[in-house]
Amino acid sequence: MSVKDMTHHIANYRKIFVFLLIGTALTVTASYMEFNVQNSIAGAVFVGLTIAAIKGYLVAANFMHLNSEKKIIHWILLLTVFFLSLLLFIPLLWDLNLMSHY
Amino acid sequence: MSDSHHEESFWRKYIFSTDHKTIGIQYGITALLFLFFGFSLMMVMRWQLAFPDQAVPVIGGLIQWLAELNGFASIGNLPSDLYNVFGAMHGTIMIFLGVVPLVVGAFGNYVVPLQIGAPDMAFPKLNMTSYWVYFIGGVIMLVSFFLPGGAANSGWTSYPPLSVIATTGQTFWLLGMVFLITSSLLGSINIIVTIIQLRAPGLTWMRLPFFVWAQFVTSFLLVLAFPPLEAAGFFQLMDRVFDTSFFLPSGLVVGGEALDVSGGGSPLLWQHLFWFLAHPEVYVLILPGMGVIAEIIANNTRKPIWGYKSLVYSVVFLGFMSFIVWAHHMFMTGMGQGMSIFFQTTTMIISVPSVIILSCFMLSLWGGSIRFNTPMLFALGWIPMFGIGGLTGLPLGLSTLDIHLHDTYYVIGHFHYVVAPGTIFAIFAGIYYWFPKMTGKMLDETLGKIHFFFSFIFMNGIFWPMLIQGMAGVSRRLADGGESYAHAQGTLHLNEFMSYSAWLLAIAQIPFIINLIRTLLRKKAAEPDPNPWRATTIEWTDTTSPPMGHGNFEKVPTVYRGPYEYSVPGDSSDFTPQTSKLIKDR
Amino acid sequence: MEIPYNVQVREDTGLYNSKLGIWLFLASEVMLFGGLFSAYILLRTGAPVWPPIGEHGSIMHILKETIPHATFNTVVLIASSVTMVMAWVSLKMKDLRKFRIYLGTTLLCALVFLIVKYFEYSHKIHEGFVPSHDTYMALYFTLTGLHGLHIIGGMIVLGYFFGPGIKMWNNEPERFTNRIEIVGLYWHFVDLVWIFLFPILYLLN
Repeated sequence: MSVKDMTHHIANYRKIFVFLLIGTALTVTASYMEFNVQNSIAGAVFVGLTIAAIKGYLVAANFMHLNSEKKIIHWILLLTVFFLSLLLFIPLLWDLNLMSHY
Repeated sequence: MSDSHHEESFWRKYIFSTDHKTIGIQYGITALLFLFFGFSLMMVMRWQLAFPDQAVPVIGGLIQWLAELNGFASIGNLPSDLYNVFGAMHGTIMIFLGVVPLVVGAFGNYVVPLQIGAPDMAFPKLNMTSYWVYFIGGVIMLVSFFLPGGAANSGWTSYPPLSVIATTGQTFWLLGMVFLITSSLLGSINIIVTIIQLRAPGLTWMRLPFFVWAQFVTSFLLVLAFPPLEAAGFFQLMDRVFDTSFFLPSGLVVGGEALDVSGGGSPLLWQHLFWFLAHPEVYVLILPGMGVIAEIIANNTRKPIWGYKSLVYSVVFLGFMSFIVWAHHMFMTGMGQGMSIFFQTTTMIISVPSVIILSCFMLSLWGGSIRFNTPMLFALGWIPMFGIGGLTGLPLGLSTLDIHLHDTYYVIGHFHYVVAPGTIFAIFAGIYYWFPKMTGKMLDETLGKIHFFFSFIFMNGIFWPMLIQGMAGVSRRLADGGESYAHAQGTLHLNEFMSYSAWLLAIAQIPFIINLIRTLLRKKAAEPDPNPWRATTIEWTDTTSPPMGHGNFEKVPTVYRGPYEYSVPGDSSDFTPQTSKLIKDR
Repeated sequence: MEIPYNVQVREDTGLYNSKLGIWLFLASEVMLFGGLFSAYILLRTGAPVWPPIGEHGSIMHILKETIPHATFNTVVLIASSVTMVMAWVSLKMKDLRKFRIYLGTTLLCALVFLIVKYFEYSHKIHEGFVPSHDTYMALYFTLTGLHGLHIIGGMIVLGYFFGPGIKMWNNEPERFTNRIEIVGLYWHFVDLVWIFLFPILYLLN
């Protein structure tokens, strides 16, 4: 990788750092806001997790170079995220299913 | 072309070796010893089931000593508290210390680099670490037998709240599992990277021996499914050691007293996290075995395996589906209809690739020039046995039938058919098959056939009656074998029959042990035949027996063909090695 | 025979061995923390009140007090991720001096993170909010504790590369650079987990 490429990378890292700081500030501020939705907590959870996901994506794509990574890594991670979703949501759906009138 | 710049010390060569062949043998010996130990536990349990509360013959004194060490009363019999210990540890040891280290750690480590033409695994030092972490986990499990209260006794499934309030042995179980899971993770990462990165030139994905595909899928299962159990293990450790309530519900009463914990936890949480691993785990148990069977059938029918592509697609699909069926172990926990339908459906779907694989193996026999040597006998015996195992799984996967069969001996019969005359037959087949590659010597055929014949008979003698007892409603994990239950009375007589079958099965292993010892002690030929089975895959065709150290091959092999080119028209011999140039290019 | 593709990449995958290895390891870590998070989801949705009220009441007001500390820690960890990737960049530009500065700063940030965590823990424990107090505290200590163990593990490896491990730069600079890239990936992942832990444990109550 040439010096020119590296300088470009460094500028990018600085930019992402600033975005992450802004994201952090947003998350903290958002947690103090009341949400005008039926279930305030659900709103807060949604906003908080969305911002976290964006920050996470910035770290993964830029610091971990996931954007320019090879296809095979993408496939492995896609598979992992699919199984992760199962693990996170099936027990939840289970409980919700139980709370219905069956 | 080996680097001989220093002579390795005994310790570096045999104990802390980074050579995949040495590590494979280390795994193999350790795992076989654990298998034998787990088998012994079961033999004592079968005495209690056949002759309840009578002193165990020969080793009664030892049982009494152990029972009293653990704080249980005994006159040389197996008291129910110790029965529960033996039951939980039999399952744990067979699965995590026996079968998986054998099929993945031993066969995977030894054979995969050779079959793909690689000098070693991708990370040799990591490989060595994996073995020693497994070893430590095993030691922790064994040591727990000597604690007050004995080793873990809440089943290999360790369900809370029972496991949380259980004796100290359970904490050791959890610690041991953390080590075993870590070992597994490191080992499976090694296998995946090795297969992806170190295939010899010309060895494309669809030219891989099916054994390698099976190991590849198995390792993915281990990498992705084990960690949630590790998380659950930490939670249970927290519950036991720091009095948290991850798994303890509010208002729990033990022995008439309310438990002094915060409550608010969920026993179901453990079950979800446990079975999320434990279902893929059963495919970890069988997949490498299927790989072994494929190699042996192709080799001993002298024709290519039927449906190679179907086999590959099926095993990949099977691996994927194995993550989506876990709650069929939880049908009786009060799940709603939606959940029940979902998991029942996925469970039925997952039987399809298994059937395809079994069918491909059976179809491979048609028109073959079958050689009935010992590996092939075990492979042929495997087919109907795995068939029974698979078929008996189907009623369990249907939630309405599971109402009657859950937690009965039917379940035990089902899964033992798959692992005992299933996986263990595949293991025996693999040992007889690859023994000449590892040592340069063939195991004796007559002793092998005796071993097979009697093992086959007695395996069925143990596990078939379990299906009958289960259908009669006899529950599992009962120290009295069902004696105190009216509905069990009609099938109680089967207990004695099964126990005798178990002890006779033990005796049937003696020809095998004698065979191993005699052959190991025998002097190797000056230049052993590197390919006595006249096989096509790289481990047989391109290196010595045993393979040369530090690199396995004189030079990197180049692959020109698929893995099972037997009886190729136009070729002078009935097998054409993978590394053999195409006829037109010779 | 040498093991191929330790440093140079294999053409059809475009990867060197340890790059693939670390991503597989991170995949398993995703599943590990996934298991931990699924417990959080299940236990929280099953609780009538969150955080639950136990012997010493609710953790809420102490928690609110520690949001500045946790925010500070978040910033520190993000900064350490930047210095980590800059350490790798320095090696790519053959600047060993800058590498040591950036790696040292990463280690320092990690240490600061742990020190703040220590004070957080002792404050909560002092007030009686131990893991056994309620399921929120159990989750808090277990999740941040395991995360903390991952930080310590990372520090040990980083410390090795800062100290005795740096010798590899003299003989095999490319291989050393790869190693830093690999440990960097692990470090970014640890940061990533905290990016999710922070709002979930501190803010969404």
